[in-house]
Amino acid sequence: MTPPPASAVADLLRPTSVPQDSQINSDVMSVTKGVSWQWGLLLSLALIGVAQAVFSLAYQTYEGLGIAGYQAPVFWAIYIINFVFWIGIGHAGTLISAILFLFRAKWRNAINRGAEAMTVFAVLTAALFPLIHVGRLWKAYFLIPYPNQRALWVNFKSPLLWDVFAINTYMMISIIFFYVGLIPDIAIARDRATGIKKFAYTVLSLGWQGTGRQWKAHNRTVLHLAGLATPLVLSVHSVVSWDFAMSIVPGWHATIFAPYFVAGAIFGGFAMVLVVMIPVRRIFRLEAYITDYHFDNMSRFILFTSLICGYAYGAEYFVAWYSGVEFEQTSFWLRAFGPYWISTWIMISCNVIFPQLLWVKKFRTNIPLIFVLAVLINIGMWFERYVIIITSLSRDFVPAAWGLYIPSVWELSILAGSFCWFSMFFLLFLKFLPIVAIAEMKELIIHDKALAAQEAH
Amino acid sequence: MPDLDRRDFLRLTGLGAGAAAASACSDPIEKLVPYVIQPETITPGIPVDYASTCRECSASCGLHVRTREGRPVKLEGNPHHPINQGKLCARGQAGIARTYHPDRFAGPMAKGADGVLAPISWEQAEAQLVSKLTTGTPQVRVLGGDRGPSVNGIVDSFVAGLGGAKRVIYEPFAHDALRAATAQVFGRAVLPIFDISQADLILDFGSDFLDGGLFSLETTRQFVEARDLKKHPDGGARLVSIGPRLSMTASNADQWLPAKAGSEATVAQALAQVVRDARGGSESARRSSLAGMDLAAGLDAGAIEALAKRVLAAKRVVALPPGVGAAGPQATATAAAVLVLNAALGAVGTAVLLPEAETRPAAADLSALTQLADDMKAGRVDVLLVHDSNPVYSMPGGLGFGEALQKVGFVVSFASMIDETAAKADLVLPDLTPLESWGDAEPRKGIRSVQQPTVRPLQDGKALGDTLLSVAAAAGVAGLPQGNTHDIVKANWGSGWRQALDRGGSFSSTPTTGARIVAGASALDRRADAPRAGDGDLTLVAYAHSFLGDGSGASLPWMQEIPDPVTKASWVSWAEISNATSKRLGVSFGDVVQIATALGSVELPAYPRGGVRDDIVAVAIGQGHTHGQYASMTNDGAPGVARGVNILALLPAEPDASGARTFTGTPAKLAKTGAFSRIPISQWTDNQRGRGLVPEVSLASLAGGKEAHGEVDEHALVSEGGGHHDGPPFEYDMQNDASPESDYRWGMTIDDDRCTGCSACVAACSIENNIPVVGQDGATRHREMSWIRIERYIGDGDLSGGRERRPHPNREKLGEADVRQAPMLCQHCGSAPCESVCPVLATYHTPDGLNGMVYNRCVGTRYCANNCTYKVRRFNYFDYSREKWPGLLGMMLNPEVTVRCQGVMEKCTFCVQRIESARQGAKDEKRPIADGEVQTACQQSCPTGAITFGNSRDPKSQVIAKSKDTGRSFHALQVLNTRPAITYLAQVKRDDERSHG
Repeated sequence: MTPPPASAVADLLRPTSVPQDSQINSDVMSVTKGVSWQWGLLLSLALIGVAQAVFSLAYQTYEGLGIAGYQAPVFWAIYIINFVFWIGIGHAGTLISAILFLFRAKWRNAINRGAEAMTVFAVLTAALFPLIHVGRLWKAYFLIPYPNQRALWVNFKSPLLWDVFAINTYMMISIIFFYVGLIPDIAIARDRATGIKKFAYTVLSLGWQGTGRQWKAHNRTVLHLAGLATPLVLSVHSVVSWDFAMSIVPGWHATIFAPYFVAGAIFGGFAMVLVVMIPVRRIFRLEAYITDYHFDNMSRFILFTSLICGYAYGAEYFVAWYSGVEFEQTSFWLRAFGPYWISTWIMISCNVIFPQLLWVKKFRTNIPLIFVLAVLINIGMWFERYVIIITSLSRDFVPAAWGLYIPSVWELSILAGSFCWFSMFFLLFLKFLPIVAIAEMKELIIHDKALAAQEAH
Repeated sequence: MPDLDRRDFLRLTGLGAGAAAASACSDPIEKLVPYVIQPETITPGIPVDYASTCRECSASCGLHVRTREGRPVKLEGNPHHPINQGKLCARGQAGIARTYHPDRFAGPMAKGADGVLAPISWEQAEAQLVSKLTTGTPQVRVLGGDRGPSVNGIVDSFVAGLGGAKRVIYEPFAHDALRAATAQVFGRAVLPIFDISQADLILDFGSDFLDGGLFSLETTRQFVEARDLKKHPDGGARLVSIGPRLSMTASNADQWLPAKAGSEATVAQALAQVVRDARGGSESARRSSLAGMDLAAGLDAGAIEALAKRVLAAKRVVALPPGVGAAGPQATATAAAVLVLNAALGAVGTAVLLPEAETRPAAADLSALTQLADDMKAGRVDVLLVHDSNPVYSMPGGLGFGEALQKVGFVVSFASMIDETAAKADLVLPDLTPLESWGDAEPRKGIRSVQQPTVRPLQDGKALGDTLLSVAAAAGVAGLPQGNTHDIVKANWGSGWRQALDRGGSFSSTPTTGARIVAGASALDRRADAPRAGDGDLTLVAYAHSFLGDGSGASLPWMQEIPDPVTKASWVSWAEISNATSKRLGVSFGDVVQIATALGSVELPAYPRGGVRDDIVAVAIGQGHTHGQYASMTNDGAPGVARGVNILALLPAEPDASGARTFTGTPAKLAKTGAFSRIPISQWTDNQRGRGLVPEVSLASLAGGKEAHGEVDEHALVSEGGGHHDGPPFEYDMQNDASPESDYRWGMTIDDDRCTGCSACVAACSIENNIPVVGQDGATRHREMSWIRIERYIGDGDLSGGRERRPHPNREKLGEADVRQAPMLCQHCGSAPCESVCPVLATYHTPDGLNGMVYNRCVGTRYCANNCTYKVRRFNYFDYSREKWPGLLGMMLNPEVTVRCQGVMEKCTFCVQRIESARQGAKDEKRPIADGEVQTACQQSCPTGAITFGNSRDPKSQVIAKSKDTGRSFHALQVLNTRPAITYLAQVKRDDERSHG
């Protein structure tokens, strides 16, 4: 999938007339202007959602994890599913902002800010879940190898510890990357703001003047950060997948897990970008910046990663059968036809079957259709983790110890709360920071003008 | 200093020690209270053992009560006691909770004008009773169980002194049919002693000997001895079980003949006839004597003849008489037929012995109880004293004892904790528990066992004997012995009192006499089964639950929690019906059915089993209490609501021919209600899917393997275990899975062939290691905390099933006893999957090869539990340490073992506290720990010696010697290469007649 020349981008942009610099500034910044009642309502709902989840968490911390639906042998459940789900969501953002940046895929510029923001918020959501999951929240700091006089140390052999490092690294890099990219745009916001907002933007813009020297330093920093973030796209979800793959549980213990999880994460992440950006584009009239061309590209990405997921699902079943190991065979047989068959078929339909529609070019630019598809894919990806975690644990080596897990209302409350928590950040982001990377859009257009000038000669 | 009374003092010392253990987990600071004056016999931190006697059933096993700082913390068997020989069943061990039970009365209670029991003082309480006894000439009855010679003596002389009073000895499971049958057959009303240790064929006519029946521990030990593979290379004794239900005993049988309920007499009589005919009779005579028998017993044609051939081919056959579950309208006839059969087989005098005299007073049979109830109903009883029994609960419903009680002027209960009878009493004079009071027991002549207090009374109770003595004194009743109960027990004992206290009693062999069949007994009339009148197409079988017994076990938390060894269900009642019946009714597992007899109906969830006949519905006795925190639903938020159903309430008060009480044979109707009630069941399935978790080797392959290789025949197991015993790619070496410098690598050998599934190890582990009960809700959600469980599978299993949404053990088949049972506990793997995944090293490998667990360090990621291939890790979902030890139960905690807090993992530690204490002792004496010095709690209690623990680095140790069992030793899930420290020895298939027909 080679990116089209910048002129093609220009072609796509042209029908809506090339906006002037100031036009871009005001178009994008208009998003942050004013507070509509709809926004207020959404934010209130999100806050209420967060509040009820905080209550559930407090109650769970006080009472114990027994209020969740855990039944031996299913010791991991919705919290870990959510963790993997949200960390996966984040991956698309990093892919767009770092890898596509390095590949000079200019089309990314319109969506990268939104995607980066999504990454940061998704990681902030995901990072909560290991804490919510553990039995003794108040002792979770044991997981950090801090110096102490009791000679207590962590177990570097444990994939969970790798997780701790992976998530923290990822969170830090994502936030820094997001912030550095924002500095020029914050400066624009600063120039338009008044009062306390102006003060805040002034501090955050770190004295950005837009001088050539600053731009040079900025571009170099972004390049280096992109270089740092790129391996993380592959490594973080690989590490997360090793939580499962490094164990001995039938259904988890598979070498395909790392690429399978990374592809799944990008797949789910792109779907989430669509879920977020389609309404934003429509509500804030950003059609000039986020065009059919972007949707077409993202759809191709989704189709491609969906195929990888489909391949991975097939490979898992094949290996289970081919291995001749009864534990694996039983686990996978019951995954598809056992008590959790519905989850499995939701996963396969949403992740592999429905996305095949995207082979048709017309569908790839049919915004309502891809919005529905994106929502379905997110549901499918959540169920993918559900299937992997719950079905594998519920049917492992000792048949006498088998069990069945049913989520409790408290877990569902925290699940709902996680979406609210994410939405809360996103809604605040919309009102305080530019959703489209203004500077990068301008760069794109200048490029475009230069090309047009060249062609005219 | 503020008033610190005795109880507060005890409570505080208990708290202190508990807190020392608990403080490891949580933050509250609690103070240790030192002794002001150090008692001479107590060194804090060193346990003191007292010998005493178990009172949970009539076997009166010897106890060693382990006390710490004045508190009993664990009960173990007294090795000197000839009946239990150092072992103790689950019920006996769980009995420790009676002393600390939250249901105990804090002091005497009297019913006020409002009809509610309210506390009063002992003086007032006794005065009330005295005035009732001295006003006019009241008709007094004393109803209760056997309390051993000395206390019985006090009760008897109290009754005699009152004049006109009567004592009714009441035991729900009185074995009165057997006693009556012995009188019929041998002319003497005694309970015969059965010794199956020398037998080569054991015929079990529903005897319950592995289900907690008469002298269960003794018979169990003999059973396993008779089948010991070292002594008997041919496999030793075979067990043939005859009865309508696959009970624990039948589960361990080599052959199960699913005879109709009540037809055991027919089978026994037929066999007796055959044996007699064989001595001079012709083949045709035998045929004729068997004609129609199969049909009458509901067996396949030829089944009895095949059994008869088996009996004739064997040399030393013993037949065991029916127990509770087989006591129907033919109870005495069956027992008599079994005794006659034994006589015909020549077992009387060798394997069936008649004691010279009964040492225990004969309990009243149902006729006598009916007489009492009639007297009460007619108002002929003015004062009823009830001790050591709960008649309102345990009398057959047809007797109407509850209503009869209301006609009694004054009811006094001596119950130490609330039960259905005490709740209806006018006055409660709480007795002390057996761990707090003096007494003695003489289960047989020559076996005298002393019961001594091991803790000062924790509640304001008073021993039954002492209460009666002081009431007698106040009421002017003459003829009672001098002194208090202690003095009387001591005086009765005679010489050797001091040694008796040390050893737990004086034990010698029981004198027995020869027995001759009385004339005519051999020609017992072979009456056709006279079916009991009533409406219903099914026969109701009320059987004795291994743990709940006559219902007295229901108040003990662990007895509710430990799954029933056969059905693996806990905390509720269930109706066992056959698969055909369940199809007919359209019910499946957990669907509520209604059982109706002439006396009423109960509703309970159905438990369809292959292991019961189509024509019965079987319900365990013991649940259905309306009082008690554990016995009723009180702890589950519904005070006064019965937990499960009391099936005894549906039984008519119809005795059998000799007046004995019956538990089966009542016709019952079954109907579907449409409701559903989830049965808490501890295991999902009984299908081991060919994974070889509990494999079986045939005798032939065992012998063949030895001859061919003289070494372990690894293929013997591979072929039966579905390939999961394929060895890892390199040599397994248990000894190296510990630090190279360590002298020890702790290991265990478990002999599945000796395991009967009795679950004594589960109880021992729970009590030793402070394992909380999680209750019905927790058990329903598979959140049980038990560190050891008995897995029960049927056969090798296949790849079917697994799709069910609810637990669904369903592989039993009628007439097949291919039951596999084995304990599953932490395997202390050399290459433990749990250890590598713990992010904080809360679980780690100790130098001596243990899989250690640091509760303090645990964050609760539960990764270890996911990765444990044996699923033996347990998670503290709630703060069980605070919630699950209400009242004084917390004082029962073993101070050697940390009480785990909310959010941490736990699992079997191989009783590391016992290892450490042995290490300390050895270190003091500058020697290595000797083989056998460390006994884990499960090993110590195992009645059959199936568990051996020791140092695998010591090539001469027992654990190594036993693990090198040709063709039988294997590791669970060996293919995974977790390098477990536990070696299992496969169960042996002794013959091919497990399935009938």
